[in-house]
Amino acid sequence: MKMEDSTVLAPPPATSGASPEVVYQQLGHLTRLLHDTLEQLGVMPNLQIAADNLPDARSRLNYVAKKTGEAAEKVLNSVDQAKAEHEKIARETREMARAIIADPVKAVASGSVMNFVGDVEASTARIDQHLTDIMMAQDFHDLTGQVVAKVVSLANDLEDSLVKLLVQAAPPDQTAKLMAHIAPVAAAASVATSELSGPVVAPEGRTDVVANQGEVDDLLASLGF
Amino acid sequence: MSTPTDMKFLIVDDFSTMRRIVRGLLKEIGYNNAEEAEDGAVALNMLKNTKFDFVVSDINMPNMNGFELLAAIKKDESLKHLPVLMVTAEARKEDIVRAAQDGAAGYIVKPFTKATLEEKVQKIMQKLMAAA
Repeated sequence: MKMEDSTVLAPPPATSGASPEVVYQQLGHLTRLLHDTLEQLGVMPNLQIAADNLPDARSRLNYVAKKTGEAAEKVLNSVDQAKAEHEKIARETREMARAIIADPVKAVASGSVMNFVGDVEASTARIDQHLTDIMMAQDFHDLTGQVVAKVVSLANDLEDSLVKLLVQAAPPDQTAKLMAHIAPVAAAASVATSELSGPVVAPEGRTDVVANQGEVDDLLASLGF
Repeated sequence: MSTPTDMKFLIVDDFSTMRRIVRGLLKEIGYNNAEEAEDGAVALNMLKNTKFDFVVSDINMPNMNGFELLAAIKKDESLKHLPVLMVTAEARKEDIVRAAQDGAAGYIVKPFTKATLEEKVQKIMQKLMAAA
């Protein structure tokens, strides 16, 4: 919008002591004018889409917070359990060393050595499971990374719409200066976005997505795959 | 065809964390021979230059996504025999159906467990062995 056009936005002249009804009508008139102007500029639809997606961005960020929190919890629990197993093996090893030094024949004959070997084997298997759990917990990086990318894309869309609005509303003598400032911003905002949806952050009430692997298997089986 | 434990896997995912997880799990279930690619384009190039037996691929990736990679593999006479297991966060039914129709050997939705990966890989292996 150029400055010379801005007069169209000027409200009808207010008379002193205008009634509340008149003021209300003038406000309504202004709002309508602003809305129509933004529509004509082509900014409003994109701005509207970006604004409509803000609640989705909120739920995506909540998903990120939830996933990272769960991953941290899983890792800390697994570390606690693995450390307890490790401590147990270390203690039993010290006891076994003392028993062997004191009376090696008795240590073997009493079955203590074989019991110890069995305990070590069982403990290391449990530690291995904890390490696998820690590894699996890192999948939050992939899942949250995809969700963050969607939020960044939304922020770019919003920024792009606001930049267009700013350019179109600027006085003519300021437009060139403004363009020089916002060109890098616009370039950064024009990142490629994927048509794929990424992780489902709110599956509740949706029938177009699966909630778990069992549903994937059922769907494929129902189609004969 | 290689014996099951010698089989060479190509793990395709744009997140290195996920590639390492899949690689670690494959090792735990007995498959030590695996290489990694960060997107479909890199994977396709590797497939054309090196012999692989099994592809585990994400879908949502830059440059060439998993669907495009799957289509390229199935279009190529020298590669179309390769089983492609999709491991992805894409949970839309239309994506799952599309993958199956395009020739994917299996579909795992993230987040997944070691048991799920093992079950799907073994199932595909059994089909390969039966067909050999």
